[in-house]
Amino acid sequence: MARNELILSDVTKRFGGLTAVDALSLKVEEGQIYGVIGPNGAGKTTVFNCITGIYKSEEGSVNWRGEEIRGLTPYQIVDRGIVRTFQTIRLFSQMSVAENIMSGRHIKSSQKLWHGIIHTAASRRDELFNWHKVEEQLDFFDLGEFAATPTGSLPYGIQRRVEMARALAVEPTLLILDEPAAGLNDKETLELLETIFKIRGKGVTVLLIEHDMDMVMEMTDYLAVINFGKLIAEGTPAEIQQNPAVIEAYLGSEDDDDE
Amino acid sequence: MKKLQGFGYPIFFVVMALLPHLLDSRWQAVAITFLIFAVVALSQDIILGKSGMFHMGQALFFGMGAYITAILNAQYGWPLLTTIPVAILVPAFFGVILAGPIVHLRGDYLLVTTIGFNIVFVQVVQNNLGGITGGPNGIFGLDSMSFFGIQLVSQVAVYYFAFAVLLVTLLIMRNLEKSKAGRALHYLREDQLAAESIGINTRIYKIFAFAVGAGIAGLAGTVFATQYSAVSPEAFNFMQSVLFFSIVIVGGSSVPGVLIGVFVMFVLPEIFREFATWRFFIFGFAMIAAMILRPHGIWPATFGKIPKFLIKGDNHGA
Repeated sequence: MARNELILSDVTKRFGGLTAVDALSLKVEEGQIYGVIGPNGAGKTTVFNCITGIYKSEEGSVNWRGEEIRGLTPYQIVDRGIVRTFQTIRLFSQMSVAENIMSGRHIKSSQKLWHGIIHTAASRRDELFNWHKVEEQLDFFDLGEFAATPTGSLPYGIQRRVEMARALAVEPTLLILDEPAAGLNDKETLELLETIFKIRGKGVTVLLIEHDMDMVMEMTDYLAVINFGKLIAEGTPAEIQQNPAVIEAYLGSEDDDDE
Repeated sequence: MKKLQGFGYPIFFVVMALLPHLLDSRWQAVAITFLIFAVVALSQDIILGKSGMFHMGQALFFGMGAYITAILNAQYGWPLLTTIPVAILVPAFFGVILAGPIVHLRGDYLLVTTIGFNIVFVQVVQNNLGGITGGPNGIFGLDSMSFFGIQLVSQVAVYYFAFAVLLVTLLIMRNLEKSKAGRALHYLREDQLAAESIGINTRIYKIFAFAVGAGIAGLAGTVFATQYSAVSPEAFNFMQSVLFFSIVIVGGSSVPGVLIGVFVMFVLPEIFREFATWRFFIFGFAMIAAMILRPHGIWPATFGKIPKFLIKGDNHGA
């Protein structure tokens, strides 16, 4: 089997006259924690949407484990082991934490449509098995006490955890996190860092967007910097910190200051 | 509310089982219609309440079931009970082919399309398609039910037939709640994009909801045709669909909610029949008040029905 690599080559996504992602190429290798950074409106989330099938890029290719996944629907991409979270949390807010995590077991469940009408011994076994899988995630994310609580009534930090638990319930190969630390306090951010390392420890490759520079530098193995939809730099965190193009994108060039 | 439900169901079943012996024939008829409408409203709830699709044409599937039973009985001499499989499968099949091209439509657009389907159906049966639907008068003079050769002519027999159909429907609703397919409907209603991003093929499940909803409504149609020994187009027109839609909205997307909804929207107006058309005046205001005071319905959907072993400590949530 091909390695668990995600290779984007020359991915271009336009919205009308605006080119949100411009001939972007990057390569996420198995076992990495790969960070994508860039100023607001740089096109980071659009890249993620192109990978996860929410948008279809006009040009280029998105290659996962040697298979072209550009143009597949979101659920087909989940079926291939790529799962994402959202920048603005998208939970099923009226439903309980356990039910939210159970949604991640959807594609792993062996139940057929007609089991919705008539249960069989096999479908009951499958149901129980998946609830036990949910229990594993509740324990991993320390969410046990909230199992029956509707997610809409939970604090923001806990909602973030539920969203990650839901994604991990799918048992993904590649986990895509869109600003997982947004809105978290320092303590929660530290916990998140630990959690992400633990997830990587399970053999899951992690691709994330993040604004918190300290966190990105500490956590990632490799970084890509995007501005105006273009890749302006890539490398290890140490290399990126020294890169003049990156400093310019974030701080503005010295020329601008003179004007 | 959970405790209430624990006691409520046995009491409801016992009362419903004894009911026909306590009522005169007019109220028996009302009770039968209550059961039939409850089944149709539950089928509407699968599409509207659980899946969140604004479908206002449920009378189409209800009527299709009724007409299939009537045609097979009157034209081809099938015994009423043997028409049941056809009266379930044909509407379910139409549920799939009608929903297929439209389920991607959102809210109000879907609503208008389903109203259109309902109108087309009524026009087709009124215009006596293929000479078998009987035109504006419909079809009358159906046989009475027979069960292994025993004729079941009385209204009480029809009542128990309707009650059995309601019990089967409640069983399906319960199975749906505790299955992958049923949860998928809730997920896609709450957030379609999140549902797709977690691996749910929302299109398939929306069509599934229509198929199940249509099949159950078709079955209710058979009972309806049996009760009146007749079918006619106006029983399945757009206003009827509005009634089923309102029952789910006013009652709330839960089994008790739907049953309360049917009671409020159908039985209460019957009780206040002596006030003639004034009852609809009060009834309209009651609907408005219900929606202002309880925007999610009188008895809204409850979540958090998860296995006991997952609930730890005192925090039982919702």
